[in-house]
Amino acid sequence: MAEGYVEYRNLRKSFGGLEILHGVDLTIPEGAFAVLVGPSGCGKSTLLRMTAGLENVTSGEINIAGRLVNNVHAKNRGIAMVFQSYALYPHMSVEDNMSFGLKMRKTPLQLITDRIKRAASILKLGPMLDRLPSQLSGGQRQRVAMGRALTREPEVFLFDEPLSNLDAKLRVEMRAEIKALHQRLKTTTIYVTHDQIEAMTMADIVVVMHDGRIEQVGEPLAIYDRPANLFVAEFLGSPAMNLIPGTIAQDADGRCVQTEAGMRLPLDSGAKGTVGQKVVYGIRPEHLQLDPAGDLPIRLTLVEPAGWETHVHADLGGQIVRMVSTKRVAQRAGDSTTAKIDATRAHLFDAATGNRL
Amino acid sequence: MSHTTPMVEDGPTGADRLKPFVPYLLVLPGLLFVMGILGYAVVGGIILSLNETDMFMNKTFVGLKNYIDVFADPRFQDAMVRTLSFVVISIVLGIFMSMSFALVLYKVVRGRRFFRGLSLVPYFVSGIATAVMFRFIFTTSGGFVNTVLAQLGLPAQSWLGDPTLAFAVAIMANCWFMVPFASLILLGGLQTIDKDLYDAAAIDGANPIQIFFRITLPLIKPMLGVSLIWVSYISFSTFDIVLALTSGGPLKATELVSIYMYELAFQQLNFGQGAVLMVVLLVFNTVLSLIYIKIFVMGDRRHSEAGK
Repeated sequence: MAEGYVEYRNLRKSFGGLEILHGVDLTIPEGAFAVLVGPSGCGKSTLLRMTAGLENVTSGEINIAGRLVNNVHAKNRGIAMVFQSYALYPHMSVEDNMSFGLKMRKTPLQLITDRIKRAASILKLGPMLDRLPSQLSGGQRQRVAMGRALTREPEVFLFDEPLSNLDAKLRVEMRAEIKALHQRLKTTTIYVTHDQIEAMTMADIVVVMHDGRIEQVGEPLAIYDRPANLFVAEFLGSPAMNLIPGTIAQDADGRCVQTEAGMRLPLDSGAKGTVGQKVVYGIRPEHLQLDPAGDLPIRLTLVEPAGWETHVHADLGGQIVRMVSTKRVAQRAGDSTTAKIDATRAHLFDAATGNRL
Repeated sequence: MSHTTPMVEDGPTGADRLKPFVPYLLVLPGLLFVMGILGYAVVGGIILSLNETDMFMNKTFVGLKNYIDVFADPRFQDAMVRTLSFVVISIVLGIFMSMSFALVLYKVVRGRRFFRGLSLVPYFVSGIATAVMFRFIFTTSGGFVNTVLAQLGLPAQSWLGDPTLAFAVAIMANCWFMVPFASLILLGGLQTIDKDLYDAAAIDGANPIQIFFRITLPLIKPMLGVSLIWVSYISFSTFDIVLALTSGGPLKATELVSIYMYELAFQQLNFGQGAVLMVVLLVFNTVLSLIYIKIFVMGDRRHSEAGK
C-alpha cells in the first residue's frame, strides 16, 4: 500500500467570515505527480499555498512525509515552489537566484556549487548563470524558477500555474519538460492549473476542484472516461462533453433518453437509471459522429477544419452539439445530415443532483 | 516633381522631417521657463559672488575675493561644519524614519490611502508654522515636553536655550518636515515589489531582516536614491524652520550656512559674500545628487544591462 506522502484531512480555510475551502480530504502518494485543476476561485491555489506554508490553516490537518506541518514554517516544510510570476529576484543573477535559498540555510559552499551545476545541466542553464532575469526570455525564466526549486532538493515540488505566462508553443514544450523532469527525479509534485489539458497530459493523479471542494480524484483517463458528476464532465475534455437534458424512456429496442425536443438518444443495455427518470445525457464530441446511416437528424452550424481533426458544431433538436472527427468533413455549415452516437460511450447524470448514475 | 531627378515615391515631406523634433519642441517652452527662472537665479548668484555690490546695486568686479574672504571667515567655517553635521544626522535619522514609516504604511491594509494622505500633512504645513509649533512643544516654561517631563518627575530642560539641545530640536523639526515626502517615495518603491518575491524568500528560508536587506532594499534602490536627494537637499537648504525656531542661536549653535547666508546678504547687506554661500550650497547639493544618481539610480542592476 502506498503511504500517503502529502495528506490533507478535513482541511478548511476561511478568509474573514468567508470559507473558501470546505473540508478537503486528499492523499497524494510518494513520487506522484498530482495536478489540482479547476476554474479560478475554486481554492486550488489556496490549497497549494497552505501546503507551502504561505497561508494559515483554519482547521484540519496537512501532513507532509508523515509529519503534521500545520504550524511548521514554510522554510522547514521540505518544499520548493515555482510561482506563476516566477518570482525571480530581479537584482540577482541566475546563479544567485538559485543559490539564495541554500545560502540562507548556510549550506556549505562546495555543496551549493555542486547543486547549481547539476540543476544547470538538467535544465540547460549553463550559459545563463551570470545573466539577470531581465535578460532572459519567458521560457528561460521559467527554467530558472525550476532550477531554484531543484537546487533545494525538496521532498515536494509545488507548482502554481507555472505555464500561464508562456505563449502556446512554449507552454507545450515546458509541459513536456516538466513531466520529463518529474520522471527523472520522481519527487512528489503538486501542480496547480486551470488548464484541463495540462492536467490530463501531466498528471498521475488529477484532483478536480470546484467551489472549495474536491469533485473527483483519479487517474486522468479514468476521470475522462467516467466523470463523477456534471461539473467534471463539462470541465475535463476539449471541446467539452455535450450535455443534453432528457428523460429515460422505453423504446422498442430497449431504453433510450428522450430529449425535450422529442429526439431519442440511444442507451447501452447496461446503462443505469429507470424509465421516467430525469437525466442529463452526456456524450463526448469524439463519440458523436457524422454518419449518413445515422438516425439523428442534425443541421451543421459551423465547420472548423483544424488539419488532422475537424470540429463540427451542429443543431440537434434545438441544442447545439459539438463533434470532433478525424475524417475530413465535406459538408458545410447549413447542410442537413444525420449523426450517430456510440451508445456504449454515453454518460448519464441525475438531472437533480448532477451525479453520475 | 522635378523633371531631371528620378521620381521619389513617398519622399519625406517637410512635416515628416520635423517629426523627430516634435517631442523636443513640445517640451521646449516648459524647459525654457524652468531654465530661465533657475538659470537666472544661478547665473545671477554667481555674478553676484564675483562682484562687490553696494546697496544701490552698483557692481564692481572683484574676482574671487569674496570666496577668499568667506573661506577665511571663522564664522563661515563653523557654520559649514555645523551644516555638515546637521545634514549627516538629518540624512541618517530622516531616512531611517522615512523607511520605518513607509514599511508601516505598506503593512497597513485597511485605510492605507487615508493614512498615506494623513502622513503628508506635515509636508503641507509651512516652515514658519512648523517652527512655531515646535517652539510651543519645546518652550521651557509650560511647553509640552517639559510638562510631560514634570508629570514623570523628571527635571525640565531648556530645550531651545541649550546649544546641544537646540541643535537636536532643529534636526527634529527638519525631519518632521521632510520625512513624509521621503516616506511616500519609499512607499511607492515598496509597492512596486512583486509580493511573490516575499513568498519565494520565505520558502527560501530568509528571515524578515534578511528579506529586508537582501530583497526589499536592493529593489527600492532607485527610490532610496531619490529620497536621499530630497532629504539631503532639504537639510542643506533648510532655512525658514531654523530661522523661526532659533534664529541661529543660542550662541550660534544652530547657525547653518543658509542662516549665515541670510545674515550676510540681508542683515549686513554683503551681497557678494552671501552669494558665495549660495554657490557653496549649490555645489554641495549638485555633487551629492550626482553621486546618489550614479550609485542608486544608474547603478541599479536590473536596468544597467537590460533592454539591449
